[in-house]
Amino acid sequence: MHGPLIETLARQGVTRRTFMKYCATLASMMALPPSAGRAMAEAMASAPAASKRPSVIWLPFQECTGCTESITRSHSPTLEGLIFDVISLDYQETLMAAAGHQAEEALHAAMAANDGKYLLIVDGSIPLGLDGAYSCIAGKSNLDTLKEVAKGAAAIVAMGSCAAYGGLPHANPNPTGAVSVSDIIKDKPIINIPGCPPIPTVITGVLAHFLTFGSLPELDQHGRPKAFYGETIHDRCYRRPFYDQGKFAKTFDDEGARNGWCLFELGCKGPVTYNACATVKWNGGTSWPVESGHGCLGCSEPDFWDGGGFYKALSMPADPLKLAGKAAAVGAAAGVAVSFVNRGKKSAAKSAHETTTLADLEK
Amino acid sequence: MPLDAIPVVAVPPGLRAGELSGNAPALLREIAEMVRRLLSSGDVSAIDLQALPLTPADLEWLREQLGEGEIAVTLNADGESSLNETACPGVWWVTHRNPKGAVVSEFLEVAFVPEMVKAQQDDVVIGLEHLELLISDLS
Repeated sequence: MHGPLIETLARQGVTRRTFMKYCATLASMMALPPSAGRAMAEAMASAPAASKRPSVIWLPFQECTGCTESITRSHSPTLEGLIFDVISLDYQETLMAAAGHQAEEALHAAMAANDGKYLLIVDGSIPLGLDGAYSCIAGKSNLDTLKEVAKGAAAIVAMGSCAAYGGLPHANPNPTGAVSVSDIIKDKPIINIPGCPPIPTVITGVLAHFLTFGSLPELDQHGRPKAFYGETIHDRCYRRPFYDQGKFAKTFDDEGARNGWCLFELGCKGPVTYNACATVKWNGGTSWPVESGHGCLGCSEPDFWDGGGFYKALSMPADPLKLAGKAAAVGAAAGVAVSFVNRGKKSAAKSAHETTTLADLEK
Repeated sequence: MPLDAIPVVAVPPGLRAGELSGNAPALLREIAEMVRRLLSSGDVSAIDLQALPLTPADLEWLREQLGEGEIAVTLNADGESSLNETACPGVWWVTHRNPKGAVVSEFLEVAFVPEMVKAQQDDVVIGLEHLELLISDLS
């Protein structure tokens, strides 16, 4: 096992055994067969050395910085930190020391020096409304910046659900006209890493794959890497046996909830959500939403925000007309007051807007 | 307030630490198949224990069944790792830990010697350079 990367690591006191251990663990986290660890070590060891570190440019658009927050939590295995030393992160507004004109200079210098070779990471959606005026950096709209920087990129990573699908800014009625990276850029390989935010290990895992094989991993129909988004939350959920037995929590504080039964009826979107939370977990493997008692929101799926209510069970789709009819019938049967009918209308209007409160859940 | 006084169960019964899920016995057959392959063709193979729905009790059961062998290797590389032969020669229980001592990955490896135990060619070259340096200092 030899090559420029392993020589660089060796100078930093990392032995080949340490490197093999790291790769075995990484393969395990990526749900790859154990034999893949060895192959990764071989390929990764011969990756480019520090003298020609692959340049990475990270553009933030209409976003909340949650994705950046997430990736900064992935450094706890020190080797991932080393991997990052091996990448040259040339532009990242939140993390870089430079600001203003200096930052823009760094961006353009990196683009010119690595034309056609740099990896572009985008987080946040791109607003098209009012000619892109909703989000501008250095006097340029996000749309213009994306087109300009994407031109010289080897590949683009759409980080988080906003860049991958338009995300929360895209939510109905989408006031800023937000769209995803793949809606604009059609002539570059794009990899989507959705999630709100994506799991830190998934982010670094994909970057490690790019380093390892010099190419992007195998993708599914939504452009997501199959290694991490190959199975549903439901299929890998530790509460799955209760679903199979028909044991469901009905409210957040009933016997079922206390016993840790399946959260399907409380609106868990696990069965239709492809992500790695159930296996990789969060905060260094501490826990994940279902383990802390709340159903999956489905944040790695397109338009999850407009999915019809986080607390509506998948098998019971929102149907405001039916609810309105029921409310009207109750009013008629009671044969009384306008206030009653109004209340019915109010509840119908409420359900039509898909806002669900805890009180609605108890109905 | 002690933890067990809180009437909320995060991990459901049947998946609690003390209970078997019934998934472990099937692994014995798979391991036997892997050992047969090692004997017939010399192919090494491994099972990623973290990729399987096993409870701590399942792992404990498996560990007990496989027993302890003659060799226990400790590897100090970015945290401690143990590569222990089980009572079935050729079957190794491999546990990788990070510098904080938390288990980061766990495998059952079927091989005459786990790959990671062998000294790597390039590390040996560095070792030889060091030896030559020691010798040159003698005179």
